Amino acid sequence: MESERKPISVALIGNPNCGKTSLFNYITGLQQKVGNFPGVTVDIKSAETKLPGGEVISWVDFPGLYNLYPTSRDEKMVVQSLLDTKDIYHPELICYVADVTKLEKHLLLLDQLRDMQIPLILVLNMVDLAQKENLEINATLLAKKLNIPVVSVSGRSGEGIGNLFNAIKEQIVKEQISVDVQHSGYKFSGEETNIIEELKPFFPSFTAYKRLLIAHHASWLPFISASERIHLLSILGENSFKSLPFQVREVTQRYNFFTPLISSVLKKKLIDGFTFSEKLDGLLTHRFLGLIVFLAVLTFLFQSLYIWAEWPMMLIEEGFSNFSNYVSTYLPDGWFNQFLTEGLISGLGGILVFIPQIALLFFLISVLEEIGYMARAAFLFDRIMQLFGLNGRSMVALISGGACAIPAIMSTRTIASWKERLITILVTPFISCSARIPVYTVLIGLVIPSKTVGYIFNLQGLAFLGLYLLGIFAALISALLLKWWIKSDEPSFLLLELPDYKLPVWRNVGLTVWEKVRTFTFEAGKIIIIISIALWFLANNGPDVKMEAAKKEAIRVSTERQLSQNETDNLSKAYLLEASYAGILGKTMEPIIRPLGFDWKIGIALLTSFAAREVFVGTMATIYSLGQNDDELTLRERLSVEKNPETGKPRYDLATGISLLLFYVFAMQCMSTLAVVKRETKSWKWPIIQFLGMTIIAYISSLIAFQLLS
Amino acid sequence: MVKVQTGEKILSCAKVGFKGVVSHFNDEHVACRLISMGLVPGCTVEILHKAPFGGGWYVKSDSLHIAMRIEEASCIVLR
Repeated sequence: MESERKPISVALIGNPNCGKTSLFNYITGLQQKVGNFPGVTVDIKSAETKLPGGEVISWVDFPGLYNLYPTSRDEKMVVQSLLDTKDIYHPELICYVADVTKLEKHLLLLDQLRDMQIPLILVLNMVDLAQKENLEINATLLAKKLNIPVVSVSGRSGEGIGNLFNAIKEQIVKEQISVDVQHSGYKFSGEETNIIEELKPFFPSFTAYKRLLIAHHASWLPFISASERIHLLSILGENSFKSLPFQVREVTQRYNFFTPLISSVLKKKLIDGFTFSEKLDGLLTHRFLGLIVFLAVLTFLFQSLYIWAEWPMMLIEEGFSNFSNYVSTYLPDGWFNQFLTEGLISGLGGILVFIPQIALLFFLISVLEEIGYMARAAFLFDRIMQLFGLNGRSMVALISGGACAIPAIMSTRTIASWKERLITILVTPFISCSARIPVYTVLIGLVIPSKTVGYIFNLQGLAFLGLYLLGIFAALISALLLKWWIKSDEPSFLLLELPDYKLPVWRNVGLTVWEKVRTFTFEAGKIIIIISIALWFLANNGPDVKMEAAKKEAIRVSTERQLSQNETDNLSKAYLLEASYAGILGKTMEPIIRPLGFDWKIGIALLTSFAAREVFVGTMATIYSLGQNDDELTLRERLSVEKNPETGKPRYDLATGISLLLFYVFAMQCMSTLAVVKRETKSWKWPIIQFLGMTIIAYISSLIAFQLLS
Repeated sequence: MVKVQTGEKILSCAKVGFKGVVSHFNDEHVACRLISMGLVPGCTVEILHKAPFGGGWYVKSDSLHIAMRIEEASCIVLR
């Protein structure tokens, strides 16, 4: 009978750091789905599981919040779901999770929820820690005083989960659960009672407190229609409804209500002196030592991303190239073979090659987050980052961007303020990522002489450093501009709780890594594969007449010059690329990029670089008939003898080289990054703005550089 | 947001190591937030650390540790 019923939606709600997500992970494991609130970029995790008795439960892990007066988008979504009975995440039962070691701080929201008359269970989490701290709680007495079921669990070890399931079952069987309003800690004032009465015709089925919440949030709640909103706001105006003073009065009164209640059920050993976390913070949040530790942590993070991710990435690249060769030998030659090997398989490889970096970064970040260190880092860098409209946590994204912008952008999820998160996402790709290195190497070697300046500095090395600094500078300046340009309705708060240091729960770390890898592969991956197939098509197909002519011309020239088979192949590849749609596009682009010192050959390379910046090297090699040669030195030698047909001087002189370098520092040339930005901001608006903005900056700086130097 | 009224002793004027008791808050936004986090009038507050570059304040109140900006610390009026 019961298993045929539709799933019962159970929400996990609680303060930040109450261990709610550990509990959710313990119960649901790999069943989790990441959804999002309609129309906004707030992710929400849900999962369906069966209780031992067969009842199907749809669990929802809501973002943590302190009260029903939200300041961030995440918090607003929770309030909206709780108030709107038609919301897809509206719960039938709430498991209110509280950290039992901080119970005296964690009950305010519970008291508010009691007045909403949604059935509740109080889940006392972290009982394992409570035992260690010699903390005694009388759960039976607490349940009696609050008049709601209370269960003790540990989301870390799974202790007591069975009791939680039983309590949920009991609530389901009761069907109609009455919540005794008499026990709530809040008495409405006269003014509030008036408003509650005035709003009755609008929301007749709502409890008094829900109507009061509507009054507080009338200006933004999305389920209120426009005409209703005007009406409501005018009623509030007439009654001179003062939201903030009412809020303060309410939270104070509730706090005063449950504080004596808690002290009657909880026995806590007072700790003399500093706790372990406080002692550790003496070092980790120290104004000088803390910075050194943080820099050491970031260096480690960056190095591991750079070094440890390299060999699995090489394995993936080689594996895919071998696989593609294998397929191409065993399938008959032709269009389909090419599409499969050069389009689809290499596109897939292009997605999977990012996975080692994503997995590694999120492994390290989530360990740091689990331990409680990330909140300290945010605290240390809040001020500096604030100046640029960024968040203390943006530091991690900016530094990781030095390896690859993709995992870096995905890591901004923990930045609570939408504006700060968006700015971080938009400026991170300015930081020179590892894909730019091959391009820098070729071009710096080509145009910057290798000589020693100031006794110890190599000029080429300085140029390298300069390009990196330029990227950082561009990121910070654009962050400043975006801070001024992007409007936000969220008040800027820090007020960040610094949780006690804990050992990481490896289940949580594993699930985070899995979730990030999965979302990247399946969501951003879709876009990446479409674009890489499109790029493949452009570079390998062209108008038949032109392609045929190119083939014939290649054969003619090679017979004339008596070239070997290999050289003939390379020459014909170069001619075919010139005749392809990509070649045509490159030539069409030439008038636009000529003022930057670029010809159509560079134009083609700019286009194909969109698959990944390092593709520049391979494309240039193909154009100059060097075959599929990724060797940077060979290409550099070839480029250095290339002459400009008009002037007879070297084609890649200082002006062109610098201009091209600047273009690669600033331009948004990575489709995978754009795909991730689209996924993280849930719209095409921001990736398009980012693409245009970065490319325009690149164009202008290359233009100025070339015109000044040539 | 920084409001300094004469005669009131506010947390943002205190140094690291200071320990005192919260009297009230002079900003309602911050008040609502702090009370909900568990920092209420009557609580003891202690400044454990200050971040570099004029940055955040690391404030302890019983079992609660909060990082706040100077703007928020200046809303906490002491007894």
